Formats: sequence, C-alpha cells, structure tokens
Amino acid sequence: MKKTAITLAAGALLASMAFAGSAFAQDYPTKPITVVVPFSAGGPTDTVARLVAEVMSQDLGQQVVVQNVGGAGGTLGAGQVAVAQNDGYTLLLHHIGMSTAPTLYRSLPYDPTTDFAPIGLITSVPMTLVARKDFEPNTMAELLDYVKANGEDITYAHAGIGSASQLCGMLFMNAVDAQMTTVPYQGSGPAMTDIIGGQVDLICDQTTNTTSQIQAGEVKAYGVTSPERLGNLPDLATTAEGGLELEIGVWHGLYAPAGTDAAIIERLEAALQVALANETVISRFAELGTVPVTAEEATPAALTETLTSQIELWKGVIEAAGVYAD
Amino acid sequence: MDIIASLGLGFSVALDPINILYCFIGVLLGTLVGCLPGIGPTATIAMLLPITFSLSPAGALIMLAGIYYGAQYGGSTTAILINLPGESSSAVTAIDGYQMAKQGRAGQALATAALGSFFAGTVATLLLAFFAPPLARAALNFGAPEYFALIVLGLLVSIALAHGSILKALGMIVLGLLLGMVGQDIYTGQPRFTFGIRELYSGLNFVSVAVGVFGVAEILRNLEDEKSRDVMVKSVKGLWLSMTDFKRIIAPVLRGTVLGSLLGVLPGGGHILSSFASYSAEKRLSKTPEEFGRGAIEGVAGPESANNAAAQTSFIPLLTLGIPAHPVMALMVGAFILQGITPGPNVINDQPALFWGIIASMWIGNVLLVLLNLPLIGLWVKMLSIPYRALFPAIVLFACIGCFSINQNIYDVYAIGFFGVVGYVLIRFGCEPAPLLLGFVLGPLLEEHLRRAMIISRGDPMVFLERPISATLLGLALLAVIIAVLPGIRQKRKEVFVEED
Amino acid sequence: MAVSNFSTKDLVSGAMFVAAGAYFALEALNYEVGTAFRMGPGFMPLLLGCVLAALGLGVAANGWKKPDTERPLSPPWRAMVLIIGVIIFFGATIRGLGFVPVVLVSSFAAAMASRLNSPVFALLLAVTLTVLCTAIFVVGLGMTVPWFGPWLGM
Repeated sequence: MKKTAITLAAGALLASMAFAGSAFAQDYPTKPITVVVPFSAGGPTDTVARLVAEVMSQDLGQQVVVQNVGGAGGTLGAGQVAVAQNDGYTLLLHHIGMSTAPTLYRSLPYDPTTDFAPIGLITSVPMTLVARKDFEPNTMAELLDYVKANGEDITYAHAGIGSASQLCGMLFMNAVDAQMTTVPYQGSGPAMTDIIGGQVDLICDQTTNTTSQIQAGEVKAYGVTSPERLGNLPDLATTAEGGLELEIGVWHGLYAPAGTDAAIIERLEAALQVALANETVISRFAELGTVPVTAEEATPAALTETLTSQIELWKGVIEAAGVYAD
Repeated sequence: MDIIASLGLGFSVALDPINILYCFIGVLLGTLVGCLPGIGPTATIAMLLPITFSLSPAGALIMLAGIYYGAQYGGSTTAILINLPGESSSAVTAIDGYQMAKQGRAGQALATAALGSFFAGTVATLLLAFFAPPLARAALNFGAPEYFALIVLGLLVSIALAHGSILKALGMIVLGLLLGMVGQDIYTGQPRFTFGIRELYSGLNFVSVAVGVFGVAEILRNLEDEKSRDVMVKSVKGLWLSMTDFKRIIAPVLRGTVLGSLLGVLPGGGHILSSFASYSAEKRLSKTPEEFGRGAIEGVAGPESANNAAAQTSFIPLLTLGIPAHPVMALMVGAFILQGITPGPNVINDQPALFWGIIASMWIGNVLLVLLNLPLIGLWVKMLSIPYRALFPAIVLFACIGCFSINQNIYDVYAIGFFGVVGYVLIRFGCEPAPLLLGFVLGPLLEEHLRRAMIISRGDPMVFLERPISATLLGLALLAVIIAVLPGIRQKRKEVFVEED
Repeated sequence: MAVSNFSTKDLVSGAMFVAAGAYFALEALNYEVGTAFRMGPGFMPLLLGCVLAALGLGVAANGWKKPDTERPLSPPWRAMVLIIGVIIFFGATIRGLGFVPVVLVSSFAAAMASRLNSPVFALLLAVTLTVLCTAIFVVGLGMTVPWFGPWLGM
C-alpha cells in the first residue's frame, strides 16, 4: 500500500513538475515522457511498450508514460506523433504496421520515412501457424498439400485489416500459391477463440497469442516463422524446416517526431539499450516467445534500414494481393 | 471435495491482509471511477498497470479485477442519481433508477442496486468456482451463427425497453444499429459515414452517445422551463427498502442473476446483452408493466443483478482458456503477461493459488463493495440536495473530461454535443433513447456475426437453421414476436366484435 | 390547420426516421453491397436504412387522428446554444489552452445556461469546479493533459 501511495504521489508530483518550464537538450529529460502506442491497452504491442517504458523510466530518471491512442489500424496514433512537438517528450512505439500503412492506406496523412526520427528497434515477435485441434493435416508438409488441394474451402482467420495475422496470411498464400477464404475478426482474441472453438480452420498469429494455447494442446501448431526454434516451444519446427519459405516477425520500433534534437535521440537510444539488456525485460519477452534485439540493432540506423526495406517488401505483397484499408 | 480444498487455498490467498487491502483499493477505485462518466474500468486499469509492476501477481490481479467489478457497481450510482450512464449496462439502470430518484426514492434504488449486485456476485463467484471449465467449453460451441441468432433474439425481445409506441421503439433500435455502423468496416477496411474524418474510423464512442442522449438531453429538458417545472427531487422518502420493496425485488434479482451468469460466459458479446435482456424479461413477466419506465424497482433490481453476475462470469473464458471476452479482459491479459504469467488453459494447474485466489477475492470484493456502498447511500442522496442549477454545469464538465480522457479524441467530445441535441429532439417528439443505445451496441456485433456466418457457410443462409443452438434461439425470437403481437391482435378482434354489436 | 388531425409528435419523429434512413441508405449505395457469400460494407446499412425509412412512414401514419393533447414547452434556446457551445469549445481548445483555463471558461459558460444563475454565482461555481476537476482528473487519476497548454506559451 505504502509503495502504491508513494508511486501515486510521485506521479502527481512529476505531473505537476512537467509544466514548470521549458527544457534544454542537455538536461533532457526534465518532465515525464509520453510514449504513444497506437493500439488499445493490453494488446501485445502495449505489453512490449509497458515493459520497456518501465525500465527506461529508471534510466532516464523521469516517468515514461504509455498512452494508448488506438484506431484506424494504428495510423491515428502515429499521425498524432508525426505532428507532435519534436521536443523529445512525445514518442511513438509502433510495430510492423508502420511499414505497411503507406501501402494499405492510400491517403495516409504522414510519411513514415520523413515525418519521424527513428530511435531504435526493440524486438521482433515471431509468428506461429496454428489450426483448430481437429484440422486434418498433422505436419507442415501435409498442411502445404492440403492447402494446395483445398484452397478456398479452408477458412483462414485474421485479426483485421493491417493486422500481423493478415500480413502473414498474405505471405503464406503467396508462398503456397493458393487462395484460402479469409475471415476477418476484430482483433486477435476473438480470432483465437474461434480457432479453439473449431469454428474456423487456420491462423498465423504472434507467439504472444498462441504459445499458451499450443502448450495446452488447444490448437494444432505447424511451424514458427523465426529463423530458429523458440526456447519455450522447443518441439515446434521452424517454417523453413517444414519446407515453407515464410519468414516474418512482428518487429517493433521506437520513434520521435522528425527534427528532434540529435542529443535527445542519443539519450533515448542509450536508455532503450539499457532497457533491452534488463533481466526482467528479457525474461518477460521470453514468455512472450521473443527476445530483445541486440544493442547494434537498437539504433536509429538499424531501424531506418528495417523500415525502408520493409516498406518496399510490403508494397509488393499488398499490391499483389490488392487489399487496401481505405 | 477437490473444489472445497481449492477454494480453501483461494481464500488463504485472498484473506492475506495485504491482498484484502489491494482488493479494497481496487473496489474503492472502481466504485469511484465507475461514478465518473467516461473514465471507466479500461482507462483506470490502463493507468494503474505501471503501478502493479511492484506488486505480487496475486495482489496486482486481485486489485485490477476489483477495479473492474467495482466500476460495474459504481456505474449505477450516476445513472440513478443524474441520469448519466457510463456504460451500456448502466444505461438500463438509468431508465427506472433515475425515475425513482426523481420521485424521492434514490435511496431505495441505490440499495436495490447494491443488494442485487451483491447477491448476483456471490452466486456468480460460486459458479466460477464449481463450473468454470465446463461452462467455458460450452461457450465455445457458440460460433458466428449462434451469436447472430442470440443478438436477433436480444433485439426483438428488447422492444419491451420502451413504454410508448412499439413502432417508435423499433425505429430507435434500427437508428441505433445504423449509428453503430459508423467507422471502418472490419471486413474490407472501407470507412463508412465518417465524412473523411480519421478520428471516426474506429466508430462513435459508446460513452459519448450514452452521455449525450441520456445526460445532456435530460439537462436540456430540465432547462426548458425552470420556473414552472419541478426539476429533480421531491422530498426524499427514506433510504431503506420497505418490506413491500423487498418482496418485489427477490424474484427479479434471482432471474437477473441466472440470466447474467449465463450470458456473461459467452465471449462474443453476451455480457452486453445481460442487463437489457433482464429488463425485458422483468417487464414481460410483470403484472404491472405500465410501471416500467416510471420508476419500477424491478427495473433496477433485475438488470443490476444481471450486469454484476455477467461481469463476474466474463472472467470464465479468460481464466480457463485465456480468451478475453471484451476490452477490459484483454487488458487483464496484458496485466497477466506483465506479471510474467501467460493466461491460458494451463493457469488453473500451473498457478492454482493465483487462480483460486482471484476467484475467492471476487467474493471478498463483493462483501467489501456492500460494506462500502450501503453507508455511502445516505451521502449520495444528500448530493441530490445540491441545487440543480449548480449540479448541471458539473455534469456537463464531467461528461466532457471523461469522454476526452478515454482516447484523447476530441471528436468523442463533439459527439456528446451532437447526441445531446439528437437525444433532446427525439425525446421531445416522444421517442425514448434506451432502445437506440441497445441498437448502437449491438449493431456492429449483428453485422459482424452475420457476415462471418455467411463467409464460413459460403453464402448458405440455411446455416442458421441447421445448427441446433442458433435454430433454437431464432425459434425463441419468433415466439417473442408472436407474443408481442398477439395481445394487439386479440384487442383488435374485440374491437371488431364491439363494432358488430 | 391541415395537420390538426395528426399527432405532430408522430409526424415529426416519423419524418426524422425517414430522413435518417434515407441518408444511411443513400450513402450506403456508395459502398459495395457484395454477395450473400461476401457481404460488402454497403449491405447492412442499405437494408437497415430502408427498414428505418419504412418504420418512419409507419410512425407518421400511426399519428393519424391522434392529435397531441399537451402543448410542448418552447425549447431552451439559450441553454442549447451555451451547453452545446461549451462542449464544442472544450473539444476545440483542450489540447491548445490546457486543462485549467478550458475547465474554468467552460463551467462558467455552462452555468450561465440557467436563468437562475447570476454571473457571480457562475464564477464561484466555475472556480470550485476547476479546482475539483483538476484535483480529481489531473492529479488524482493522472490524466495526461497539460494544466496550461502550448497556446498560452507555457
């Protein structure tokens, strides 16, 4: 209780100090920093953000507050940060959707490459290909044959336009060269519910949502889309082992609005690297089925590189599939 | 016997003084934010997540769960006192609760809500302890066709929400359904009725619509003619329930509890229906249905019990299968993960102390809520003695701040104004807002499940009749319509006879 | 009057339903209607819009020979303008002016919506509400909004 009261009081104090005056880059940060997560609280991206923010707060000596601005497939929150003051007190933590939005949304009000100053990559969450328990194929090889043979008779669930599961589905269908019937859901939760309940056949979703179900035998798993097997699912083969060329990870990055002072970016980069080396963060990430990126990747250069190459990749995939969000 | 031992384990966790304290903080905070419109459990839990880092997993989750069901409880307070429902469930309570308050029976309405919720919470906790896994399994049989049928049934039964013209009630439901479609279509991403405003892509906010058509519209009506109109409360007639009141609420509380417990288990939107369904049932079963909408105590007792029971049983899919039934439960998933526990079917075996501790804490939380709220009733009722001319500016402000704080979206604030005017105009011309809200919350679900069912069945509408559960539900819906129409027909025939004489 | 045989309430609410239904149905024509297998985004709104318009006609017809008995009070124009104005003002300036000034101005203007409130009373109420709201929402609940916004140069 005491701890709670102190934290609350400290939070209030910090909040009031926030308005004490303007800050200079050299003594940054002097007030709480807001990290905008463009999805609702409690989701996988939000969880990643809160874990990282907690440790960054300790390193920066200022509260790093996660603020959820959901809506329009993550473009609402990103758009808000794009036009926010570039004083280093408003940041954006976004995932792979940062690179798909320019193609999915033909009237995007911001440009991911020029409106943001990248700070660094955070993690890349692998995805798993899972099906309802009584789905016929038992191995990856059988699955590939089955999909080729039955095509549109198979129902593929995904968490909505622009979601990671939809993207993975597009790549999967490209790789197998077959079309399945896609069934959109409002988020991962309801989609997994229908997989467990046997209402739909197949989904490719983040380990965050699938690991516990795979471990409990509630769903049938075919492969994981990471280059190597996962620590907490050692028996699950990678897609490459199963003979499927499908490698995808839901990468997360941290951004500031374009034009943010270089010294501030450097400070944030250092804090991010400290957070990613933190033991709690590593162990919680492990339970999500993922690992933090290395210090070399948690840099503006690496994030810029990933962002530009991913924008290119998805432009091709999405245009080929002809799926748009507006 | 196994369950008794498990419950013993649960209570040993939940009765740990520290955990009782967290539970108390949770329900207290929940009650407080429940009273404020807008800042609902979702926002509060999200804001408190960082603090829970430093707590034990059991303490953290007990506190967060407490916030959720505490808020369900607190939400009824403002609905009853000032006609400002913060959530879909309390919108139903506002119908008769606010009328009771106007008649000076706010104390009785609040007491009914408190006692009904407590009873329902206790029963739902027992259900959770004894039948959680089988209930969750059964709920998985509900696919898109079943949910579609359930929602159709809910809509048709809920015509009873109105006490005036059935045609107008139907019109309001359909208008609500249409308003629910504003925003991005989840199947194609096509933005609908958004006027190109990106902030509307995720749809209209429920709280804005509810606060507008109930709260702001009511303020405008009260300001119509301040001098001649008796705004607000007549003298307060006691606080406690009379023997007659007690007799009147027993059956509605029991029925509400059963209905709410069952609907709450369904992860695809069952909990939303619970309070509406209970209200309709009570009105149908009542010998004096004309009292509903004019301060019938049954109209508070049933829905409040149903709502609280559903709040509790909506933990079942989360705790036993790791499936979140609604946004608050999704947030709880996040809280579990932050504590290093991945919610899923294994939690009950891997973390028995945590699983049973949370369940036991829910009952303790309900006890705390009653202890907290019964003494507060007197205080709340005193609040009504604040002159209305000082109260209404505060209501307007709370509504704006609350709605803005949900998503920091200014269009949520503009929507309050828009729906305030819409609500005022509609009420002026004899249309009641409650069916509109029901349509609004169910509209997106109706469309989503219909389209999903059709995709999965490849365009074959027979799927609704081939699946036994959905066929049964649709049959019930048909029956409900026949029952609703029959008295009218009978009356017509009587009239015909009279004329022939 | 020609409509004296009609209930004005029913006639107007019917007309509103027809108008709303027509708007949704016509706007839905811009979206794809789709097939039974893959229903498009236009299907439900088109269907429901037509249903609503039909219900509106029914409501209006239902008012035939049932003229209203009570005369409605005149709408509270001043309250409507002030309260709706306050809500729009709040939304438009909360980010720019910050919490304290917006709440102060809004509560003063809202209080003036009642003819029973004097300006002095409204001012007192505004100050009280500002202190109360700041304490509850910003300090207590940690709402992330500046006390004084960037427009004030702070």
